[in-house]
Amino acid sequence: MFMKTFEEKWTAWIDDQLTGRELEKFLASLPDRTAAEAEKQNAKQVGSLLREQAMALSNADFFSHQLRGRLDRENAPIRSEPDAIRTGWWTIRRLLWGGITSLAVFAICTVLVFREGTPPSQSQYLTQILGAQVDPTVSPNATITMFQKKDDHVTVLWVDGLQSLPPEYAAK
Amino acid sequence: MRPRLLLLIAILSVALSSGGSLPEQTVWSGLIIATNSPPIEPTPAEVTQIEGTLRKLFGYSQFQLIGEARKTLKTGEEDWLASSKYFSLHVDSRGEKADAYVLNLKLFQEQKLLLETKARLSKASPLIIRGPQVGDGQRPAFRSEHSSIAYATPKC
Repeated sequence: MFMKTFEEKWTAWIDDQLTGRELEKFLASLPDRTAAEAEKQNAKQVGSLLREQAMALSNADFFSHQLRGRLDRENAPIRSEPDAIRTGWWTIRRLLWGGITSLAVFAICTVLVFREGTPPSQSQYLTQILGAQVDPTVSPNATITMFQKKDDHVTVLWVDGLQSLPPEYAAK
Repeated sequence: MRPRLLLLIAILSVALSSGGSLPEQTVWSGLIIATNSPPIEPTPAEVTQIEGTLRKLFGYSQFQLIGEARKTLKTGEEDWLASSKYFSLHVDSRGEKADAYVLNLKLFQEQKLLLETKARLSKASPLIIRGPQVGDGQRPAFRSEHSSIAYATPKC
């Protein structure tokens, strides 16, 4: 049979759970029964008090939750409404800047590609002489010189030695 | 006898028109006589912008137009003739490439081909061709000469 310890018997006695022979044997084992009775009364009073408090705090969990929530809100770092708005706009602003930057890079690349792909306006360059010749049978002593005067933006084909002509050839 | 100093000039100019999908360009060509004699006629407008250059190049002070032609290029492959009584400048455009016209130029003295040249004529960059001297026929040393000048310039 299972033997109860003294502490178990003490708790059972406090709770008035011991009866009969077991109660007699326990009371006989007490060294000071008066002190034990006083202690039992104290324990019963404490128990009654705890039960009353337990009734009063039947919603203890709810209040605890509310209290913790309030404390959390009060202790949380204060973030103003403008900050929140600014944070929202910060994301949009980043998107805007990203878009603008992308467009700028695209435009620059496009310009560079077109500048490389399209030859610069030929009008910026001088006329080029690709070839020139005189009929050696008509002008056997003719010589041809080509040069460019970049300052004046002209190209000159200078022919010497052509047959000289009478002045009437200057007629309209 | 007082010598005459003459200069023959051929001029090509390009004009842009705003109508149409492709810009039409007009090329002007001319034959000009340069001389140091007193001016008989005003200097052609097409020559005025390069008059200083011509003076520096050839040493003549006056320029007289003796023949001209104006051609509007639509396909870029047209040909035309600027002519005077004895000279003619035949211009054969072989198309536009990189904003310049490839031209075959032939300078004739009547039916005689004096000079043939091929050039890539750029806008606002005249081509100047020095032609034969033309004297008064009474001096062994000719003091006058003919030159042909061709140039293209955009007209707004």
